[in-house]
Amino acid sequence: MGLISKLIGISLAAVGFVLLLFGMNETSVMSYVYSFLGLLVMAMGFALLTAGRPKEEKLPPPTITEIKCNDCDFKEIRDFKKGDYILKTVEEACPKCQTGMTIESVYMIREEAKKYNV
Amino acid sequence: MCTARACDKPRSCHILLLMILFKNVEIEAIKRIQNAEELIFMQIDATTDFSGIIQIAFFAFMMLFMLYGAKFQIWQMLKQVEIGLAEMRRMFVESRQTAIETFKEYGHSEEEIAEELDQFMDYFTIMPVDLDPAGILKRLDHLLDVRRDRFQEFVADLAPESSGSMNQNLENTLEVTQVLGLIYRLVRHFYILGKKTGSQITVMQIHMLMPELLLLAKAYFDAIGAFSQGKPIGDGIGPLVITKFAREFGATPESYTHEISKEVGYYTVEADGRTVYALRATGPGGTVGKPGFGVKNLMEKHGKKISRIITIDAALKFEGEELGRVAEGTGAAIGDPGPEKYAMEQAATEYGIGIEAIVIKEDEAAAVGVMDKKILDTVPEVIERIKSVILKRTKPGESIILAGIGNTIGIGL
Repeated sequence: MGLISKLIGISLAAVGFVLLLFGMNETSVMSYVYSFLGLLVMAMGFALLTAGRPKEEKLPPPTITEIKCNDCDFKEIRDFKKGDYILKTVEEACPKCQTGMTIESVYMIREEAKKYNV
Repeated sequence: MCTARACDKPRSCHILLLMILFKNVEIEAIKRIQNAEELIFMQIDATTDFSGIIQIAFFAFMMLFMLYGAKFQIWQMLKQVEIGLAEMRRMFVESRQTAIETFKEYGHSEEEIAEELDQFMDYFTIMPVDLDPAGILKRLDHLLDVRRDRFQEFVADLAPESSGSMNQNLENTLEVTQVLGLIYRLVRHFYILGKKTGSQITVMQIHMLMPELLLLAKAYFDAIGAFSQGKPIGDGIGPLVITKFAREFGATPESYTHEISKEVGYYTVEADGRTVYALRATGPGGTVGKPGFGVKNLMEKHGKKISRIITIDAALKFEGEELGRVAEGTGAAIGDPGPEKYAMEQAATEYGIGIEAIVIKEDEAAAVGVMDKKILDTVPEVIERIKSVILKRTKPGESIILAGIGNTIGIGL
């Protein structure tokens, strides 16, 4: 359901609304027919507007592993690998000073939750 | 003017007369009926035949909803519960599959694991009788120990090639799957019961609880990946603070004293002239250990030298509170069913020392999900608060127990 269907939905809802108003102001027996028709067209319009595929679930953000050199200020950030844990001594040496490195942190950065100003 | 006596054919004339008379009566009757109809339409505020039908339909509609409105509402609520239930079922089935995939790596075939796992999904623990509350915590602690042993045995049987740390992670994975299965079965029970009995109260209760139950299930469902892969979770902030604090004062994994209580150990460090016993569960496997008994045993070991107990834990935040907000309070910050907390409180009361808590506010999803950066960033602040407590409320030469409570999954020593 793309933009076109949404536009058709809006148009149908508008036409339905006009028909309903017209039916409400009409004094003849046909007023019921116009009102009913108006409601029907409006319902079709709103159905088109709200229709569509359910929202696709967002994939969780990646888990990040932060590795720091034990001596210098070298820091490496990469995706989490199975077996990583905080304060684990990694096998690779620091590319800057060739000393050992430790996993400083493993974390995830989540989306900010909706805030309520109360 | 017609006179009947002068008529040649009196019989026919009479008939004619009668016909006219009856015709008049008939017309009069019809008029009266029409008047009555008009009166009825006027009474129901209708002025034409067509509007009368509409009005009658309106009244029929009103009667229908007065009599069957509640039934319609129940049907609507059941439909909404059904949608939630389908979502819960999906989460349970997927988490079960994740558990099978994880166990599969350690020695058994998928079919064997699926069969054993399905049997274990119904595993339960019966809470001790509380009619005679004397000694209930001891009995509860015993039951929890037996339950833990049973879980460990199950994991060892199902994953014979797994190591110690991974065994603990598998235990956690199993528990999460079990929780999701329990939530699903509970909601399904009330859904079917409501449908069977048509009880509005039953349906309303489960309908009202649905949003919260779905949030809880979603939190656990999102967490299963963390447990199966051994990633640190938000609840582990307590043990992480302990190790970071201890390392600041020179502690190393080698200086960690193991097993002061089940799966719990401690670092001994000197901080600002005080001896700090920094206690936590032993990671990086997923365990909370028995830190309450750890504190109790340390108190028994060091006696009156200890002047304060400080507990660090993750606490459930209120909606609207910021994730990772740090707060301080009095008491033992530990969320166990009772025995651990009791052991800590008892030890503090017995020796007459202060017990205080520093907590990091988290929601359910953050506590059981992969460690959030915001929570991780609170570590320096918590360490500063610990230092401040030590300086303000203890004297040089005294000893302090610093207990970090939480699941140590993905957090090394």
